Amino acid sequence: MTDSLPDFDTMTQADFEKYLPDFFANGDGHVSTDPRLQTFLKNNPDCAALVRDLEAIADQARSLFEPTEDPSDAVWSNIQNKLKQQGPEDDDLPIPQTV
Amino acid sequence: MDVQGLQMTQNTPSPGVFKRNPPIAGEAEAIEAAKNGDAEAFSKLYALHKRRVYTLCLRMLGNVSEAEDMTQEAFLHLFRKIGSFRGESAFSTWLHRLTVNLVLMHLRKKGLNLVSLEETINPSEEDAPKRDFGSRDIHLTGSVDRVALERAVASLPPGYRMVFVLHDVEGFEHNEIATMLECSTGNSKSQLHKARLKLRELLRQPEPTAQPASLKEVTV
Repeated sequence: MTDSLPDFDTMTQADFEKYLPDFFANGDGHVSTDPRLQTFLKNNPDCAALVRDLEAIADQARSLFEPTEDPSDAVWSNIQNKLKQQGPEDDDLPIPQTV
Repeated sequence: MDVQGLQMTQNTPSPGVFKRNPPIAGEAEAIEAAKNGDAEAFSKLYALHKRRVYTLCLRMLGNVSEAEDMTQEAFLHLFRKIGSFRGESAFSTWLHRLTVNLVLMHLRKKGLNLVSLEETINPSEEDAPKRDFGSRDIHLTGSVDRVALERAVASLPPGYRMVFVLHDVEGFEHNEIATMLECSTGNSKSQLHKARLKLRELLRQPEPTAQPASLKEVTV
C-alpha cells in the first residue's frame, strides 16, 4: 500500500487506482462521500462508477453476516461422541446430550 | 492443539465487531453454567452459535465436508477452553476468532502457505481482476443481489475470499486480519481491493458464468 496521499487536485486515474485501496481503508470506507474526492469523481465518471460498484459490494457483504446455512445433525453427534471418547477425566469435560 | 497458537487471548475487538455481535439473551448465563460443567448449557451454546460458526467455515473453505469438520473442531475447542473466556469481548467475537484461527491452521496443514500471502495464495493472472477501470455502460446498477453476491464470493480464489469474508462480512479490521494471516496490513488492504474488483467482474458477467453450480459444490 501507499505511504502518502496524492495531490487531489492533480491526481490522474492511474493515481486514483493506486490509492483507491487506501481511500477505502481510511475513514468510514465510503469513498464516494469523501469531500477531497468530489471534484475528481465528478470529472471522472468511470472512476465514480467503479467506486459506486465497490461500495455496493461492500455494503451488501454486511448482509452476508447473518448465517444462512445449518450444519448437518451429524456434527453435533460427532461432538458428543468425541467428548464421550475423551471422558470427563481427560479434559474435565461434561458431555452435552441435546441441542 | 496449542491454544496459544490459536491466539485465544482476548484482544480488544473492533467497535464494528462488537456492534455486530450484541449479547444474546440467556447467553451469559449459559456461558457461566458451561464453565461449571453444565452439559445442557453447552447444548444451548451450540444451538445459539452453530449456524454462524458453520457459515463462517463454509465461506472460508468453500467445502461442506471441511466446513462441518471445522465446525466440530471449533466447538470441541470451545468446550475444552470455555474456562479461559473472561468476558472482556463479545462471546461470539471470541468464538469467531477461535474458528478463524482453526480454519487457518487447517489450511496451513493442507499446504496453503498463508505466511507469504502475496506469493502463495494470490490468484493466477487469469483469476486476478482485470484492470479495466470500468466503462460507464458496464457498471453495476447500484445494487447487488445478496444471492448473486454469495455465489460470487464462493467462486473467488481462496486468498481473495479469505480476506473479503474476514473484512467485509465478519467485520475484522485490516490489522486483525494481518495478524491472523501473518501478512502486512497493506497486503490485507490490497487483497481486499482485488477481491472486490474480482467480485465486480463476476457480478457483471451473465448469470451462467457468474454462478458456480452452487455454494456447496465449490472447493478450494
